[in-house]
Amino acid sequence: MHLTKKSKVAIIIGILPALFLYILFAIVPIIQSFYYSLMEWNGISDMTFIGFDNFKKLFQEPLFWSSVKNNIYVVIASVLGQIPIALFIALLLNRKLKGVRIFRTIGFLPVVLSTVVISLTWSLIYNSKNGMLNELLRTVGLDGLTQNWLGDTKWTMVAVLITIIWQFIGLYLIIFLAALQNVPEEVLEAAKMDGASEWVTTFKITIPMIWSTIIVAVILCISGSLKTFDLIYVMTNGGPAHSTEVMALYMFNETFSKLNYGYGSAVSVFIFFFSLILIFITTKLLKGKMI
Amino acid sequence: MKKVGLIILGVFMVLSLVACSNSGDSSSDGVIELTLWNDWTEDRPENTVYKEIIASFNEEHEDIRIKVESIPHDQYETKLRTQAAGKQLPDMMRVWPGARTAPLAEGGALLPLNSIIDHWEGLIPDAILQDYALDGNYYAIPSNISETSLIFYYKDLLQEVGFDEFPSTYVELKRLIQALNDKDITPIALGNKSIWPLQSVYISTIADRYTGSNFLKEALNGTGSFENEQFIKALSVIDELTKLNGFNEDMNTIDEAQSRSEFIKGETAMHFAGSWALGPIIGSVENLDNIGVAPFPTFEGGEGDPSKISGVAGGGIAVNSNLSDEEQEAAFTFLKYYYSDNLFEQLVQANIIVPADVKMDDSIPQVFRDANSYAQGGLSPVYDATLTPELTDMINNGLQSITLGEKTPEELAKEMQKELEKNK
Repeated sequence: MHLTKKSKVAIIIGILPALFLYILFAIVPIIQSFYYSLMEWNGISDMTFIGFDNFKKLFQEPLFWSSVKNNIYVVIASVLGQIPIALFIALLLNRKLKGVRIFRTIGFLPVVLSTVVISLTWSLIYNSKNGMLNELLRTVGLDGLTQNWLGDTKWTMVAVLITIIWQFIGLYLIIFLAALQNVPEEVLEAAKMDGASEWVTTFKITIPMIWSTIIVAVILCISGSLKTFDLIYVMTNGGPAHSTEVMALYMFNETFSKLNYGYGSAVSVFIFFFSLILIFITTKLLKGKMI
Repeated sequence: MKKVGLIILGVFMVLSLVACSNSGDSSSDGVIELTLWNDWTEDRPENTVYKEIIASFNEEHEDIRIKVESIPHDQYETKLRTQAAGKQLPDMMRVWPGARTAPLAEGGALLPLNSIIDHWEGLIPDAILQDYALDGNYYAIPSNISETSLIFYYKDLLQEVGFDEFPSTYVELKRLIQALNDKDITPIALGNKSIWPLQSVYISTIADRYTGSNFLKEALNGTGSFENEQFIKALSVIDELTKLNGFNEDMNTIDEAQSRSEFIKGETAMHFAGSWALGPIIGSVENLDNIGVAPFPTFEGGEGDPSKISGVAGGGIAVNSNLSDEEQEAAFTFLKYYYSDNLFEQLVQANIIVPADVKMDDSIPQVFRDANSYAQGGLSPVYDATLTPELTDMINNGLQSITLGEKTPEELAKEMQKELEKNK
C-alpha cells in the first residue's frame, strides 16, 4: 500500500499515455456521435443542424424496432444460454478429472476462432441443400424436420442464436474456471466434514463465492450481445428480409450503405444509452440477490 | 527534480504517439507517388491486365510512381465512403458511375476531368463517357461496359427437355422452367444473399422491357410513379419465377459467386448474371461449345425496346480534388497512358466488354461475341446505378421479401413511391 502513496505522480504519468489514447479513441468518438446525431449529413457534403429530427424518425421506424427486438433476443439467448451452460461445464471441469485440459482446450476453441470462420462454417452446416444439419436429419429418417435454416424467416434467428451461444460458451467457461479455482479448498473441506452433500456445497457455497464473477460475466454478456455485428453480418447480412437484423447492423447499413451519417449516429447514441440502462438494471437486480 | 523529469518523459511519450500518425506523401527523391485504390483482389484476367499496365507505366515513368492498394469488392465502397467522410480519400480511386459516384462528386471530393477529356475523342463514344459525368463534369473514364442482364445456359440440358433454342418470350421461358422442373433439373442458379442480384441482374432489364427506358428518370423527377402498373408487372415476374420453383431453394443463403459455381458445376440449367460472369464461365467450363448466352426474353404487353439490355460503363478511376498541381499533372499523365487502345485490346482478350471499338480475332470465343453483340442494341439503365442509395436498399430488400412471400409487388412499389415523395 505504501508503495502507491509514495509514487502517485509516477502512477499518474504511467497511466497518462493510456488515458490519452482512451480519450482520443473512445471518449472523443462518442461525443462526436452525439454531435453528428443532431445533423443531417451524408458523410461528404456539409452538415445541417436538424435538432432531434433523427431521433423522431428513429422512433417511428418499424425496421429499427424490429432490429431492437432481434437484439433483445440475442441478449436473452446469450445470458440464459451462454452463462448457465458455461457455469455447468465449468463446475464439471473443476473436478480432478482425467484429460480435463483437453476438454478445456476444446471448450475454448470457438473463442479463438475468427468470427468469419465460424460464420462461414455454420452457414455450411445450415445450408438447406447439402448442409450437415439437414443431411443428419435425413440420415436418421427425420426428413420432415429439415428446414431452409438460413433462408426461412421463421428459423434464421434461431439458427443465428445457436451459433452465437456456441461461440461464446468457452469464454465464460474460462472465466468461471478461474474463479472456481480461487474458491479456498478449506471451506469446501469444512463443508464436507459437516456432512453437506455435493449439491448443497455447490449451491450454498461455491456459487455464492463466485457470484461477483457471475455478475461480471452477465454484464460482459449483455454488452457483448448489444454490440453483436460481425457474426450476423457474415452469416446472413441481416436477412432474409431483415429477419436477423440487429441494432449495430441497422446502424451500419444506414450509415455506410445509405449514407445517412447523421441518422446512423442517432442509432449509435440510442445503442449507447440502451446498453447503459440495461446494464444498470441487471447490476441492481443481481447485486440484490448476492446477500 | 526527478518528478519534473518524469512528467516531461510522460508528455514526450504522448507527443511521440501523436507524431507517429503523420507520414509524408511525396518522397524526398523528387518522385511523385500517387496511391490508387481499387477492388482488384480477385484472381481474374482483367485484374491482371490492369495491374500489368500500371506496372509498365511505373517502369516507363521515372518521376511518377503509382502505388496500387487493392481492397475486396464487397468492402470497397464502404471503405471509400467512410474515408470520404473522414476526408481521407486516396489520390486516385476506382469508382462506379451514376448514383454511386454522385455523393462523392457533389461533396467536392473528386476532380473533374474536363480539361483532358478530349484525349479520348474518337476512341470512346460520348454517350458512354456520360455515364461518369454529372452536371457537365466528367469524373472518370470508363474501361469497360458491364452488361448486367445476360442468361447463360447449357445447350444440352435445354435440348433434353425439348428446347433447341433459347426461349425468346417470357411465356416460353416459363414453359422451359416447368419442363426442367419435371425432369428434376434446377432451372436457374441464383445467389441473392447479398440482395443485389435480383435488382441489378433481373429487374434492371425486366422492368425496362415493361416500362421503357424513360421510366426511371420520370419516376425520379416526379413526372412518373413507381406505382406504375407496368413496373408492378415487372416486380411480379420475380414473384412468379419463385412460385414456379425457378430458383435453387438456398437462393437467399448463398452469394452471387457461389451461385455461379453451382452453374459451372452443371447443377443448374441456367444462370442469370452480368458480363462479369463471362470470364469465370469461359475460364472454367469444360465444354464451352455447350454454353449459350441469351438476352432476356420479351414480355407481352411491355412498352420497352426488347433489343436493349441493361448495362453501364465501369472501370473508371477518379482523381482526388485535393491534389497539388504537380500531383494533378502526374495523375492526368497516368490516366492518358492507362485508358488506351492497348488496355481495351487486352481487356477483350480477357473477355471484358469494352466501350471502345476494337478488332477481335478468331481466338475470341462465340459466347463472348454473342454477349458483346447484345450491347449494340443500346443500354438501358441499371437500377442501382440510377436510384439513390435509399431506394436501392429498399428495392434490394423488397425483392428478397417478395421471394419469401413477405411482401407483394404492389406493397414494394408503394413503399418506393412513398420514400420518393418523402424527400420532395
